[in-house]
Amino acid sequence: MDLWNHLAIGFSVALQPTNLFYCFVGVFIGTLIGVLPGIGPVGAMALLLPTTFKSTPEASIIMLAGIYYGAMYGGSTTSILVNIPGEAASVVTCLDGYQMARQGRAGPALGIAAFGSFIAGTLSILGLMLLAPPLANFALKFGPPEYFSLMVMGLTVLIYLAHGSMPKALLMAAFGVILGLIGLDSINARPRFTFDRMELVDGVGLVPIVMGLFGISEVLLNIEQAIGRKVFETRIKGLLPTIKDWLDSKGAMARGSLLGFFLGILPGGGAVISSFLSYAIEKRLSKHPEKFGKGVIEGVAGPEAANNAATGGAFIPLMTLGIPPNVVMAMLLGAFMIHGVQPGPLMMKQNPGLFWGVIVSMYIGNIMLLILNLPLIGMWVQVLKVPYRFLFPLILLFCLIGAYTVSYAIFDIYIMILFGIIGYLMKKFDYEGAPLVLAFVLGPLLENNLRKSLIMSQGDFSIFFTRPLSAISLSVALFLFISPFIPRMGKKRREIPKEEKA
Amino acid sequence: MNQKDFFSSLFWMMVGAGVCWGGYKLDLGTLHDPGSGFMFFWIGLIMIGLSLSISFRSLRERIEGGEIGKLWSGTGWKKAIYVLLALVFYAYAFQILGFIVTTALLLIFLFKVVEPQRWIIAIAGAVLSTLITYGVFQGWLGSQLPKGVLGIG
Repeated sequence: MDLWNHLAIGFSVALQPTNLFYCFVGVFIGTLIGVLPGIGPVGAMALLLPTTFKSTPEASIIMLAGIYYGAMYGGSTTSILVNIPGEAASVVTCLDGYQMARQGRAGPALGIAAFGSFIAGTLSILGLMLLAPPLANFALKFGPPEYFSLMVMGLTVLIYLAHGSMPKALLMAAFGVILGLIGLDSINARPRFTFDRMELVDGVGLVPIVMGLFGISEVLLNIEQAIGRKVFETRIKGLLPTIKDWLDSKGAMARGSLLGFFLGILPGGGAVISSFLSYAIEKRLSKHPEKFGKGVIEGVAGPEAANNAATGGAFIPLMTLGIPPNVVMAMLLGAFMIHGVQPGPLMMKQNPGLFWGVIVSMYIGNIMLLILNLPLIGMWVQVLKVPYRFLFPLILLFCLIGAYTVSYAIFDIYIMILFGIIGYLMKKFDYEGAPLVLAFVLGPLLENNLRKSLIMSQGDFSIFFTRPLSAISLSVALFLFISPFIPRMGKKRREIPKEEKA
Repeated sequence: MNQKDFFSSLFWMMVGAGVCWGGYKLDLGTLHDPGSGFMFFWIGLIMIGLSLSISFRSLRERIEGGEIGKLWSGTGWKKAIYVLLALVFYAYAFQILGFIVTTALLLIFLFKVVEPQRWIIAIAGAVLSTLITYGVFQGWLGSQLPKGVLGIG
C-alpha cells in the first residue's frame, strides 16, 4: 500500500510542467552528449549544475539524472553507426552493432538498443523502488564507524576496478581526499591549506575540478590528434525489431537488466563493467558463440540493457546511504548538497517529494528517450556529422561559463584551467581521474566519520573491527588491496574493462 | 627505466611530503581527539609510500613508450598550448572586457588559429555562438555575466 502512496507522491511531483520540462531537457542533453565525443555525462552535469540554482531541488536533480541515463541511450547510436562509442559504457555495443549496420541492419540494431535500454531502465527503477525503502531503514542504524568503513570499501572497489596500476589509482584517491579537505575544518573551523586565499576558505569547488579534469583535458588531448569519424552511409530503415529479433534478444535483455542493476549498486561497479560482463555472458550462453562480433542482435541487446539498468542501481547507495558509488553519483551528491538536501536514510522521510519524484521522473524520462531515440534517429545522425573543429570551441566555452557561474568567481576559472592541465598530464602519464573525484567528494565525510569514531572509542581503532558491518566492509577492502598480489586474482583484475570515462 | 612513472612518482612524492609537513604544522591532535592536520599528515605519508613503490617499480620496468619525449612526438601539442594560453587570457580579460567581447575574441581565435576556418565562418560562428550563449545564460537563466569597461551586454 505504501508503494502506491509513494508512487502517487512521485507522480504528483514528476508530472508538474516545470519538472516535465527539466526531465526533457535532461534526457535530450544526455542523448546529445552521448552522441557527441569529447564530453561525457559528468562534464555535462557539471556544466549544467549552475543553471539549476534558480530552480527547485526536484527539477535540478530530475534534469541531472536525465543526463546520466540519457547518455547511455545516446552512446549506443555512435557505436552502431560510426563504430566509435559516445561514452565508455557503449564500447562493447560497437562489436555487433556496427557489424549489423554494415549488413544493412542498422535499424533493428538501433531499435533493439533503444527498446532494450527502455525495458532495462524501467526494470531497474522498479528495483530501486523496492530496495531503497528497506535499505534506508536499515541504514538508520549506521554510526560513524560503519559510514567510514563503507566509504573506504567504496573507494577501494573503485581503485581495484581502475584501469592500470593500483598504486597510481590509490595515489589519485589520496590526492582527491586532500583536495576535498581544503578549507575550514568541519569540527573546529580552522582554515587548512587555504594559503591565505579567501576563495579557498569554503574549499575547492567540485564543478571547476570536474570541468578541468574531464572537459578541458579531453579537449586538449583531442585537438592534439585529429579525430576522424565516418558515419556509416546507409538509409536507416526498419527500426522496429522483428519477432525473431525479439525472441533472440529477450533472454539477453533480462539477464543484462539483472546484472546491470546489481552491479550498479556496488561501489565502483557500473555501466561499463556490466555491459562488458553481459556481453561475455551472452557469448558463453549462446548456441552460436562464433557469430558474436559478426553482427548478432544479442550482442547489442544484452550490453545495452545492462548499462541502462546500472544507472538505476547506482542511485540506491546514494539515495539511501548518502554514499555515491561512482563519479557520476558523486556529481549528483554535489548537486544535492548545493540545494541543501542531504541524501541518506532520512531523505525518504524528510523529502518524500524529491525522493519519489526523481524515481518516477525516470520512468517518464525513459519514455521520452524512446521517442527521442527512435523516430528522431535521423536528427542524431546529423548531429554525428558535426566536425570536431566546430565542437571543441563550444565545449570550452560551456566549461568556462559553467565554472564561472557556480560562484561568479574568476578564481574558479583559473582552478578549472589548472585541473585541465593536471587532467591532461594525468592522461599522458596514465593516472585516472575517477578515483580522484570520488575521493574528493567523500574526503570530508571520510574524515568527519573517522574523527567521530575515534572520539567515540577514545582513540581505540578496534571500533572498526568490533562492529559487524564495519568489520565486513574493511575486510572486503583489505582483501581487494592484497588481491593483486595473489597471481590468479591479479590476472582477473587486468581483464576488467576500463571503468567510467566521465 | 619507465621514465613516465619515475618522474611522475617523484612529483607526487613532493606533493605528499608537502601535505605531510602541512598536516604536521596544523596540529595532529591525539588518537582520542584527532586534530585538523591528522588526516593530512597520514594521507601525505601514504602518498609518499605509494610514490616510492611506483618509482622503485619504474626503475626495473622496460616498456615500450615509457620515455617522456615520446608522449608528445607526432602530436599537435602546440595547439594544446595555444588553447591554454587563450583560456588564461579569457580568465584575465573576462571582467575587464566583459562577457560578450572576451567570448567573441576567444571563439574567433579558436575557430581561426587552432583549427583554421575561413574568416567569414570564424567570425560568424563566434558572434552567433556568443550571442546565443549570452541570451541563454543572461537572458533566460538569469546569470550575472560581466559587462566590462565597455559596458556591452
